[in-house]
This record gives sequence, structure tokens and C-alpha cells, in this order.
Amino acid sequence: MDEQKSYYVIDPEGKLSCHKCGVPLVRSNAVFGYLDNAFPVELPVCPKCGFVYVPEDLAMGKVLSVEKVLEDK
Amino acid sequence: MKFEAFSRTKSVCPHCLRVLEAERAVGEDGCVYLLKRCPEHGEFSCLIWEGPLEEYLAWNTAPGGGNAPPVTVPAREGCPDDCGLCSAHESAGCCVLLELTKRCNLNCPVCFASAGGGEAGPTLEELAALYDMLAARGGPFNIQLSGGEPTLRGDLPEIVALGRERGFTFFQLNTNGLRLAEEEGFAARLRGAGVSCAFLQFDGLRDETHLALRGRALAKIKRRAIRNCALAGLPVVLVPTLAPGVNVDEIGAILRFALENAPHVRGVHFQPISYFGRCALPAPERRLTIPRVLREIEAQTEGLMRRADFAGGGAESPYCSFHASWRVNPDGSLRALGRRASCCRSADARDFVAGRWGAQAAPDAGEDGFDRFLREAAESVFTVSGMVFQDADTLDLERLRRCHICEADPGRGMVPFCAYNLTARDGRALYRR
Repeated sequence: MDEQKSYYVIDPEGKLSCHKCGVPLVRSNAVFGYLDNAFPVELPVCPKCGFVYVPEDLAMGKVLSVEKVLEDK
Repeated sequence: MKFEAFSRTKSVCPHCLRVLEAERAVGEDGCVYLLKRCPEHGEFSCLIWEGPLEEYLAWNTAPGGGNAPPVTVPAREGCPDDCGLCSAHESAGCCVLLELTKRCNLNCPVCFASAGGGEAGPTLEELAALYDMLAARGGPFNIQLSGGEPTLRGDLPEIVALGRERGFTFFQLNTNGLRLAEEEGFAARLRGAGVSCAFLQFDGLRDETHLALRGRALAKIKRRAIRNCALAGLPVVLVPTLAPGVNVDEIGAILRFALENAPHVRGVHFQPISYFGRCALPAPERRLTIPRVLREIEAQTEGLMRRADFAGGGAESPYCSFHASWRVNPDGSLRALGRRASCCRSADARDFVAGRWGAQAAPDAGEDGFDRFLREAAESVFTVSGMVFQDADTLDLERLRRCHICEADPGRGMVPFCAYNLTARDGRALYRR
């Protein structure tokens, strides 16, 4: 977890910024690709390096559900 | 016919319902039979698998275990006389039937519940007590609003609300569809009240089929019921009772009709006829068994649905049920989804049923790519399943102990469906009052 968190920083006001570039993340369109499917989602993105922040509840929730559907689990 | 036994179980005498030792055996025709002998009423043999022994044994992919009910009543006399569920039962329960009324607006020649007459059903207070009993015995279960004809109750929304207040989330309406077809806005009211799906008696597309099984020409009424449910966003599962000589040749037509009406029609659930309750049709020499139904599905859909796509149940005995799911591609072709024989806990089975048959959330403005995919994926899944209920001829107590479809009974608690509905040849019931 420590390694993951080093990609971004949460300031005292709860705003996210990119650890590498030092700039605030902005809401932007990101596209997930998995098994020939594309999933456009609005997420915090670093305007400089393109780093996309994926909240844990998204990864463990909808993303996991989609994986299960695509893998017929 | 000569038989060669390969395993033992217990059953009952079809005449006196006393418990008997029984054998599973291969007959001269190569098929599997259940054999038993009553000291008073003689010998009985009944076809239980119209296929070779290897196929029968290979179907048993879910060995069971690890799914005992959390709360039980003592097993004193032994199966099937202590149901409640008793401490020897091996399944925690998945779906529970609430019989809301004995009244019915049909008088079917075939009815496991022997419905009819003017008896009022349980009051709201009595139903609340049944929900409480179920919650205390391992609920929330998937609820089947049943009867009689449950739509004859004017307080269905209140009955669903009582369950929702107690944590139950899935409500399946076991209905003949008459009121859904005839009353404008009824389906929408049920959907608004939280009914999850209409489990619609649908024996075929021919009026002759309905006349034989239901005593009335219902083909147009069934179509109207489906249309009204579709308009209201109430998912429909078609439930054909399959009777040899009546509608076995309609299997393919029913499946094609269901696919044409997907995603409003979520699937088809076949029920090969059992000879219990009120049954005007005589039991044939060769019962309709799982392998025969699967062969008919493959042949009558010309291979669109294949026998190999199907698996037996897991939370219940695999010899009680079969199911398969497909993703419907935009061009109408089907892609079989993974077989789920390893699903062996009742809680998983409950979620599986609710996911396959329940209403999907409507798209909202905040829907992202994942939401849309999940919604479309759920809508594009089509499920075909079936359950072979046991009667006094076919009853296998090993299967009964794994039964996960129960009737809620105020005196006893949860009684496995095939014990609750068991009747002797003279119509005497073991449990049903």
C-alpha cells in the first residue's frame, strides 16, 4: 500500500495531487480497457503526466464486477 | 425388466408413504431406475434418468456438504417426517414459498397445491410472523409469493412491504398471469411495490396445451401478460410444466419465443410434471427426466442451446435441477457462460437467482462506462433452468435432504417443497393441509 500511495498526495483539505509532478489532480475522462472492452469513466487525472487515480471502492466494486462478468466467474 | 443395482438410498411407498429401503439400478434398456418394495403394496420401479449410468454419475458434480441450516428442529422419526427443517437436513434453504391464498381464478387439471375453494389466506399479522420465523431461521431468503393464485390478494403491496421491512429483498410472484393480462396498470403497481419478477405459468404457445393442463385457452392472455409486464419493467420468467404427450414438442418454440421477448423475459424455467397434488394426467411408463429434457432442448433449438452448456444444481442435489446461462449477442447468437456447478451454498444460490431473474436498475444520468457495461451485461444474459420435483414414485430421501426450496408453515417452520407437497396415490398429503 505504501508504494501505491506514493503516486499521489492528499493535502489537509482532502484534495489529491500527483506525487511525481506535484500538481493537483483534475477531473478528466479516462478509459479503462479490458478484454477488448473500453470503459469511459470520469476520474482524477494528473494534467501533466496523465496518472489516473482509481479510488479503492471503484477498483473493488464496479471494476471487480466487470472483471467477473467478462471472465464468466 | 431385469435390473442391476449400483447404489442404495431410501424412498417411500406410493400407496402408504411408509419409508422404504430403495436401490438405484440400471435396467435392461440401459437407463437408471429407482427400485423399492413395500411389504404391503409390492414392488415399484420408476425411471429417474433416461440415459446411461456413466452420464448419470458424471452429472453429480456437486458433492454437497458445508451448507447445513443454521437453526433446526430435532430429527425424531427421520426423513421425511420431521421437516421443519430438521437437524439431519443438509441445505440451508434458498427460496421459500409463502402461500398467500388457496383461491384461484383457474381450475387446472394439474395443480400441486390442489388450489381452489374459498379459503382466505393468512392475515397480514400471520404473514409478518412467517417472515419473522424465516428471518430467525437463516433468512433473508428469496421469497416466492405463491398460492393458489397470489394476485387474488388485494394487499400484495403490503405483503411485499412487510418482507422488505424485515430485510427480504427478492420477491418472485408465482402467477398464472390472468390479472397481469386483464388489469391495466397492475404490473406497474407490483413493480412499484417491489415485486422482483413474475414467475409466469407458461406451458406453451398452443391453446390445446393450455386446455390440457389448465382447462382454458390461454395463449393470447399469456402474451398480453408478458406485454404488460414489459411495459411496466417487471421481468418475466416463463415457467412451463412439461407433460409427456402434451407439450414436450413445444420446448423449442417456447425457448425461441422467450428469446424474442428478451430482455423482458429473463429466461425459462421448466418443470417436468410430477404426479402429486391434483393431477388428472396418468403417470406415463417413461417419466420425463433431466437428460431427456436437455436432449429435447438441443434438438428443438437445432443446437443453439447445447446439452453440454448445462450443469446440475449445487446448493440442492444436482439430480433435482439443471441450468445454463448465455450472453445474447446483438446478432441473436448465444455464447454459453461458465457452468456453475461449484456454487454449493444457499446464500450464493439466492444471489444467483436474484441476479439472473430480478429487475435491473434503470440507467441514470450519472451512469459511467462500468455502470453501462454491467447493466447491459445483466440485460443480455438469458437463463434456462428447470427443476424436477419429486413425487411418491420418484422420491429419493438423499435428494430431499438437500432440498433448498421450502414452504413456510406456521406450525412447522420451513418444509422442503417435495415433502410438503407429497401425496399418496389416494391423495392423502404428508404435510399439506
